[in-house]
Amino acid sequence: MEHTELIKPETLDDLIKALHEKFSGDTVNVEEVQNLMESYESNPHEWMKYGKFDQFRYTRNLVDEGNGKFNLMILCWGEGHGSSIHDHTDSHCFLKLLQGQLKETLFDWPDNKVRQGMTKKSERILKENQCAYINDSIGLHRVENVSHTEQAVSLHLYSPPFNHCNIFDQRTGHKNTVKMTFWSKFGTRTPFESTVAQENN
Amino acid sequence: MEVHESSEGESILDLSRLNLETLSFDHLSEEKKKETQMLFLPYNRLTVLPGCISLFSSLSWLDVSNNGLAFICDDILRLSNLKTFVAKNNRLDESSLPKDLSTMSLEVVNFSGNRFEEFPRQFLQLHTLQSISLGGNRLKGIPPEIENLTSLELLYLGGNNITSIPPELANLPKLSYLVLCDNRIQSIPPQLAQLHSLRSLSLHNNLLTYLPREIVSLVHLQELSLRGNPLVVRFVKDLTYDPPSLLELAGRTVKSRNIPYFAEDLPDNLLTYLDLASKCPNPKCGGVYFDSCVRHIKFVDFCGKYRLPLMHYLCSPECSSPCSSSSQSDADSEDESSVPVHRLQKVLLG
Repeated sequence: MEHTELIKPETLDDLIKALHEKFSGDTVNVEEVQNLMESYESNPHEWMKYGKFDQFRYTRNLVDEGNGKFNLMILCWGEGHGSSIHDHTDSHCFLKLLQGQLKETLFDWPDNKVRQGMTKKSERILKENQCAYINDSIGLHRVENVSHTEQAVSLHLYSPPFNHCNIFDQRTGHKNTVKMTFWSKFGTRTPFESTVAQENN
Repeated sequence: MEVHESSEGESILDLSRLNLETLSFDHLSEEKKKETQMLFLPYNRLTVLPGCISLFSSLSWLDVSNNGLAFICDDILRLSNLKTFVAKNNRLDESSLPKDLSTMSLEVVNFSGNRFEEFPRQFLQLHTLQSISLGGNRLKGIPPEIENLTSLELLYLGGNNITSIPPELANLPKLSYLVLCDNRIQSIPPQLAQLHSLRSLSLHNNLLTYLPREIVSLVHLQELSLRGNPLVVRFVKDLTYDPPSLLELAGRTVKSRNIPYFAEDLPDNLLTYLDLASKCPNPKCGGVYFDSCVRHIKFVDFCGKYRLPLMHYLCSPECSSPCSSSSQSDADSEDESSVPVHRLQKVLLG
């Protein structure tokens, strides 16, 4: 089995270059990508320009389009901000903490035939520089900043890229498809994309 | 929350993470102290705020978060230009603040992560306040005098021990962001629906079983968080109904038939009673009720949420609810006949 040596990316730009290389082929080695992302030590000066916060909810800020193979984005979470329970539209999802902490709660897919509440499978706190991974075969998750005093910033990689996903109502398992939008792209605010009141959180 | 994006020409002094136990500022020139507009002191080991802080006469932003502060000295009152005061993660409580804090013109205060058990009374007289953060403290309640803060736009009270919300909160004309998550709130007063400026309401992780039906009138609400509340998914109609008393029946007749009465006609207690009449929301009814009423729950899709249980009172079991909204999942409480016998005793099912 071929082992690729892990060269620690010193900067965010190094990380992006290394990710382009990792995704240049047809297959994705999940473990290698996770290790690569985890090995980058967050330096706020390098990602500050993507770190745009909204008072009312978390924001999605596009960083790189990965030659069409992946989307790399930075999410900014104010105190108490959380997402719906959602899936990942058959894509890989990598989530790395750049600042603060996020709580990830895992759920199984709800049973379509029986309408009942969704029970959490497990939960964990992701700490600074840690990188988590999920895909639809693992299950669904909700991500939240549970701190009342600190903001959180996370780096997300989705491959292949997607702009729709399903969100789930925890009390009934009911699902809705929603379109995902960007608060900013490449450091510039993109106001006309935003839609309101989409999260079931 | 208070993230400052530095603009040209702002004089910033950053002394964060320097392990400072005391501060004298002796090494700074008088000019430097007078012109500094933003002073950052977070992540040091200050247990008291030095009196010489008052020398920073132009200061508009002060951050003393993540120190060991148990007390804020009166010298801070001399900072007449101070607009933003951030003191997160210290050891402050209601006895820590200067008595005359309300003489300042503060606009933004963030005292999250401290030890407040009561809302600081000094805040209630600071009419310049636009933003208050008291997340992660030990607050037991919200004082009704909060309605005096007519400039308030942001109120963050998440992560406390709050059990109820005073209806006076609804009198804040500019409130756009209200955070009450991670508390112990059992019900939302219907008056909150008068907060037409509200854009985001955070209620997750409380003890809510339903919301007041009036909440759908908040048409400008963009975000509403409700996860971690025991919101009911089904509701069986109130089957235990206490018929109205003679007093109530008389009151209902006086009000619904507009029978005139004057202060000379009735004792004070009955005048007060008649003033408490509530209108039945059924537009075809036009009646009123006093104490005897029936709870009715409708399930409505609202603000990104699916089938929220919205509650209102009706004057009797025979009355029906007002016109439903057009949402797909809108449904009334279940019919009695479809409910199995063993559940008839329960009024609310979670």
